[in-house]
Amino acid sequence: MAKVLIPTPLRQYAGKQDSVELQGGTVGEVLASLTAEYGDLRRHLYTDEGKLRSFVNVYVNDDDIRYLNKEATPVKDGDTVSIVPSIAGGTSGVEAPPAALSKDEILRYSRHLIMPEVGMDGQLKLKNAKVALIGTGGLGAPLGMYLAAAGVGRIGLVDFDVVDFTNLQRQVIHGTKDVGRKKLDSAAETMLDINPYVEIDRHEVALTSENALEILKDYDLVVDGTDNFPTRYLVNDACVLLKKPNVYGSIFRFEGQATVFAYPGGPCYRCLYPEPPPPGLVPSCAEGGVLGILPGVIGLIQATETVKLILGSGEPLVGRLLLYDALAMRFRELKLRRNPDCPVCGDHPTIHELIDYQQFCGVPNQAHEPAPAEGEIDPVEVKAKIDRGEPFVLIDVREPHEYQICRIPYARLIPLGDLPKRVNELDSADEIVAHCKSGVRSAKAVDFLKQAGFKKVRNMKGGILAWSDKVDPSVAKY
Amino acid sequence: MLRVEKQAWDAMVSHAERIFPKECCGVMVGSDGVVKEAVPLANVYTGPQEDFFVMDPMDLNRVDRESRERGLDVLGVFHSHPDCDAYFSKRDLENSCSWFSYVVLSIKNGRFDHANSYRPDFNQKEAPKEELIYG
Repeated sequence: MAKVLIPTPLRQYAGKQDSVELQGGTVGEVLASLTAEYGDLRRHLYTDEGKLRSFVNVYVNDDDIRYLNKEATPVKDGDTVSIVPSIAGGTSGVEAPPAALSKDEILRYSRHLIMPEVGMDGQLKLKNAKVALIGTGGLGAPLGMYLAAAGVGRIGLVDFDVVDFTNLQRQVIHGTKDVGRKKLDSAAETMLDINPYVEIDRHEVALTSENALEILKDYDLVVDGTDNFPTRYLVNDACVLLKKPNVYGSIFRFEGQATVFAYPGGPCYRCLYPEPPPPGLVPSCAEGGVLGILPGVIGLIQATETVKLILGSGEPLVGRLLLYDALAMRFRELKLRRNPDCPVCGDHPTIHELIDYQQFCGVPNQAHEPAPAEGEIDPVEVKAKIDRGEPFVLIDVREPHEYQICRIPYARLIPLGDLPKRVNELDSADEIVAHCKSGVRSAKAVDFLKQAGFKKVRNMKGGILAWSDKVDPSVAKY
Repeated sequence: MLRVEKQAWDAMVSHAERIFPKECCGVMVGSDGVVKEAVPLANVYTGPQEDFFVMDPMDLNRVDRESRERGLDVLGVFHSHPDCDAYFSKRDLENSCSWFSYVVLSIKNGRFDHANSYRPDFNQKEAPKEELIYG
């Protein structure tokens, strides 16, 4: 038996009850039993053609059936089915006409205007829309370019970074001439070149708990093009609190994900990942690499969802996580549900304001470069040891393909993954220093060796990148 | 006929004036056809909110549940028409739900001007005016 909650105005047609216990294996069957028992309810819920009326939303235990299997959504014993009307409206727009398109804009957007799904109404919606784009990197590049081209009237860019050479393999909004420039300036210049009819707000800040609500409140929706966990949770929570959809995308190596979070009735990022992974467990693109084209694909899925949300057309990517595997060239979909116990978007939220996301994600606050901690050694000192001819073993725990890019001549390659089976090549009597690209993997190697009984083992702080900066600039950075 | 008690009415008007020039929305709660409380809700429309509103169904669901626990009923919904008369527009009708009274508040230059209440039919074709008593 499932319990159906009857909204106030309909109770008069259901024997004045506020809930009814009914049989049925699916939402459709439960509602059929309801209207069989209370005939007067039928015309309030269904059209003459037998379809649910457009203003009727149905929830199974707080999940909107639109994001499940619609009327075929299964119902179990003890489930609660709620009938909730959708309420919307507004002036006809005649009294306050939205800004009209100029003759030049009509020409520019003609391929949109001739499609009935967009048309003049839709193009004006795009022109009146205000979208915040967090990050102008891999995902932000195609997003910024296509959203500008599509005619999204106001785009707020949030970035504080500077273009460098490693960006150019994928961040196509910036060119070689832009290296060293602010990403904001370089991105805005490209976007305005594509479409001078858009307005661009430049927010040259790192998004933080202190400024996020103030920056994002003026936009209709938010597109997350960031690449780190603290900012993802920050953007998510800010969107839930401000009730603005969060068009999400993420990329790693050959795989990407996209979905829309914080849409009314749909799940949020915390429903999918209540807790961040331990720091260092999930490598960033800088550590693990990324196929340069991948952010193009994922960013444009985000751009498509953004435009659909603005137009109010199609089926939004809500309650569905789209997974893309570039190597297999396959798309898959996972169903996502809003978690009624979610601390931010659940029925009884415990988070009502933004928190310290660096702390939440266990990221140490790096205001100053700390002195090498115990168990760490600075690259300059490693170089001095080599020069003095001190006996010690330097192991490089990166992968062989990284070793091909650059190496420290004195170092011996033992990839982190091979360390357990090759540990017998090392002598615990020797002094050992481990290094990798930036110091994260070698810290794991040091931990592993200490657990294996090695005592004189240290991590080279900052990895081969720091070596290139401090010791030998001829070593290539990647 | 819909009667709105003074405290609830003042809350509706001040919410509508505060949200101006955007459209506001909210729920009216009470019993026996008398609105005793107004609950302002967020307008979650993702486009320009100057001439459109969408209520988050989860908000409505929550207010319905909480009202029920306190022995009150959701009697209707309200929204504002910024710099525009309080008529039931074509867009209101196209999105209407026949279960509720719809109070529309006209806010001109940021101040309350006048209001009307409507009862839309199931087919979203007509919305006859109903008598509205407030204050």
